Amino acid sequence: MSILEVSGLKKTYVTPLGANRVPALKNVNFSVEKGEYVAIMGESGSGKTTLLNILAALDKPTGGQVILDGRDLAGIRDAEISAFRRDNLGFVFQDFNLLDTFSLEDNICLPLVLAGKTYQEMTRRLTPLADRLGIGDILKKYPYEVSGGQKQRAAVARALITGPKLVLADEPTGALDSRATDELLTLFGQINESGQTILMVTHSVKAASHAGRVLFIKDGELFHQIYRGTMTNEQLYQKISDALTMLATGGEL
Amino acid sequence: MRKGIYRRLARMGIQKNKKLYTPSILTCIGMTMMFYIILFLSISPAVRGIAGGDTMQLILRLGCYVMGFFALIFLFYTNSFLMRRRKKEFGLYNILGMGKKNLAVVMFWETVYVAILSLGAGLLAGMLLSKLAELCMFRILGETASFTLSVEWGAVRGTLLLFAVIFLLLLANSLRQIQLQNPIALLHSENVGEKPPKANWLFAVLGAVLLAAAYYIAVTIDDTVTALFVFFGAVILVILATYLLFIAGSVTICRFLQKRKNYYYKTSHFVSVSSMVYRMKRNGAGLASICILCTMVLVMVSSTVCLYVGAEDSLRTRYPRHVNLDVTLEEPAQFYSDEVQELRSETAALVSQEGAELYNVLDYRVAGFAGFVTDGRAWTMDESAYNSTEPGAYADAWQIFLVSVEDYNRLMGKDETLNEGEVLLYTTRGENYPEDTIAIGSGEPYTIKEEVDDFADNGIDSMQIIPSLYIFVPNFEELAGQLTELLGVGEKTAAGTDVVSLHWFYGFDLSCDQQTQVDITMAIEDEVLPAYESRTGCSVLCEGALMKRTDYYALYGGLFFLGVLLGIVFLLAAVLIIYYKQISEGYEDQSRFDIMQKVGMTRREIWKSVNSQVLTVFFLPVLTAGLHLAFAFPLISKMLALFNAVNTRLLILTTAICYLVFVLFYVVIYRVTSRAYYSIVSGSREERG
Repeated sequence: MSILEVSGLKKTYVTPLGANRVPALKNVNFSVEKGEYVAIMGESGSGKTTLLNILAALDKPTGGQVILDGRDLAGIRDAEISAFRRDNLGFVFQDFNLLDTFSLEDNICLPLVLAGKTYQEMTRRLTPLADRLGIGDILKKYPYEVSGGQKQRAAVARALITGPKLVLADEPTGALDSRATDELLTLFGQINESGQTILMVTHSVKAASHAGRVLFIKDGELFHQIYRGTMTNEQLYQKISDALTMLATGGEL
Repeated sequence: MRKGIYRRLARMGIQKNKKLYTPSILTCIGMTMMFYIILFLSISPAVRGIAGGDTMQLILRLGCYVMGFFALIFLFYTNSFLMRRRKKEFGLYNILGMGKKNLAVVMFWETVYVAILSLGAGLLAGMLLSKLAELCMFRILGETASFTLSVEWGAVRGTLLLFAVIFLLLLANSLRQIQLQNPIALLHSENVGEKPPKANWLFAVLGAVLLAAAYYIAVTIDDTVTALFVFFGAVILVILATYLLFIAGSVTICRFLQKRKNYYYKTSHFVSVSSMVYRMKRNGAGLASICILCTMVLVMVSSTVCLYVGAEDSLRTRYPRHVNLDVTLEEPAQFYSDEVQELRSETAALVSQEGAELYNVLDYRVAGFAGFVTDGRAWTMDESAYNSTEPGAYADAWQIFLVSVEDYNRLMGKDETLNEGEVLLYTTRGENYPEDTIAIGSGEPYTIKEEVDDFADNGIDSMQIIPSLYIFVPNFEELAGQLTELLGVGEKTAAGTDVVSLHWFYGFDLSCDQQTQVDITMAIEDEVLPAYESRTGCSVLCEGALMKRTDYYALYGGLFFLGVLLGIVFLLAAVLIIYYKQISEGYEDQSRFDIMQKVGMTRREIWKSVNSQVLTVFFLPVLTAGLHLAFAFPLISKMLALFNAVNTRLLILTTAICYLVFVLFYVVIYRVTSRAYYSIVSGSREERG
């Protein structure tokens, strides 16, 4: 059963006076099954950020449909959209987006507080999650006191604590060193194995090679996709690299 | 060409940071203008030439010092704010290859531009508005001024000198800051990871205790002299307490709230409380400054307005009649002597000779001494107590006057009869005499038949800083003769002044125009009094209310004028601090605002939270200022009593009006500056589309 269905998605940016129409997404169709781990790859300007913003309901498409767990995003009223995002989606960003005025604990609990949960409920959910992510003993610290990898794990905890239907990750390894990147990708793998659906946008081959399926986007259109099947991470890495070379040279796949 | 580039960089720096520089330059202009105006008035010969002008200029010269000092402090504050925001830019220049020397040149040119702009515009505005100020001042003194615009070069020179020095100091300070930093630190100076502020219980509690102490002092003091002594102590306590409470107290409260999990982890409290901790840490000092400035403005303006509006009343208290004679007698026998009668008739003759009529006569005798009343017995003060400067030394001191009950009946139109051993009592300044009887020194105690609630004003009483106690007795002349004996003291104190003084007050109003009034007063002083003095050996003080009026208005009007001018300056300062606070917070909140939206807060929720924080931060100082003002009220009204302004209702009214006007003004500032704040905060999202 697919949790996310994207069909005929179009997004055209219009310059203020309407003189120029720049298509960012032309015609995007794909679907994500429950429990899948999908990576979307593309160069800067290929439209992947636009796609992610539309999936996150931060932006509205010019045409087409996005259906999340049977609900059409276009049908949600503006007043509800924040609550919808909070309850159904978890976000992991490249630059962590932790609030520096909150301790890690408070940062993680923020979505629950906004949802009006009690403090007892929060601790009940937080403790096991933090232990699983290996940040149980630094919860009282503030973002400026911990490393980038730890910040990103706190951000992952914040994305997961509401039990979202879909985790959207935007270039999650972009600001991390290679060790922290490896740790985070392993973590994503584990999270996915426990049943969490993840959609990641990246241009890092390494990050994409951990996913179950990789979609390639170019000039606003889905161009190609690779299923992992029985491939190891290394094999998938090779396959992705080849595909990217083809994409860049314009050869046939 | 090389030189040109520095100047261009300096100009660009100012233009690019318009949001920061405009208010700063406006303040400089305002400060220059105000300083010029005050200096102009304080040395202008036109002002010196009018009656009361010299008193006014004395007050204004004091105002110059206050203003100059304030300008220095305030421009430093503004400059430190500008520097904080611009360090990043300088760091970038530094990395791009400009040495610190080159930066210094750029900064030099920036300072020159700002100085030229603000001094030029400020002086120009000052010259134009100085005429207006002069007209206002002449009006206060009841004179008319010519409409020619004059420029006082001395004032221009003084203003230029002061501000040149201030700008030099500012430049030196900025250079010092640039010199001390390395480029990387300059580049990142804006976003250093900030430690969460710690709750400081010690300071918070200390602040609360100090404030409570200051308030306690203010409301419990009930004599004027002590009020005068403790006023500055109380002011310092309040200032300290305000800073402590705003800086440490606010953080401590937020921290405490954060510890209460069930309160803290609620949608409406979570973001607000945690942001408030940081906001208060950064702005505590600024807010405390605003609060103190507000309080100062309010105290100053309301009390000077009260003095000025009540000037006519206090003039009448101090000089009860148009002409007031205060005859000091040598012995009680002179009270009803022929010479006294002669003086009356000579005065009356002189008045009718000038074609005027004499009415509303105030004619009575007193025997008085300064002393304490303990256990129903009045004793004279000894020398050490008289000259004491210790607070509280005057707490039970009274100026005691004996008056015959006949004089009382005649003046007040009453018909009281007293038996042997009975007296009537009257106390001034709302003081109460608690006992049922009163004795003079070692004499027999008198029964107090009644405490009456009014008696004629007299000049001596109004000049005293201690309250007066009038005892109306049936056997006045006899008692007056026995006073020194009863008190058990010699006739003279060690310093050679009389312990007991005997006065005959003779005052009257005149039905004639003002010039004739002055003529008559002069004639009495020159023709009648010298003869009388040589005949009797008594000394006489003759005071004409009309002639004193100008002095009165010069003093009160001067204070009023200065109060309003400085009030405007302080208000300007408060506006600027508020504006900068809003701007700096706007920049800081920009990214936070963005993240919250991504995490799932609705725009409405964010606005609501931000709005409640901004409101709290904004109105906390002005509410605290109101509280300070309310508690300072008893002290202020005691102090004003020294100026004979005892009209409490007037003081309440002026204070309340000043506060309301101030709050109104504050709300306007709030609306204007919040717009700047919101435009910065929402700017980040709009840019990204």
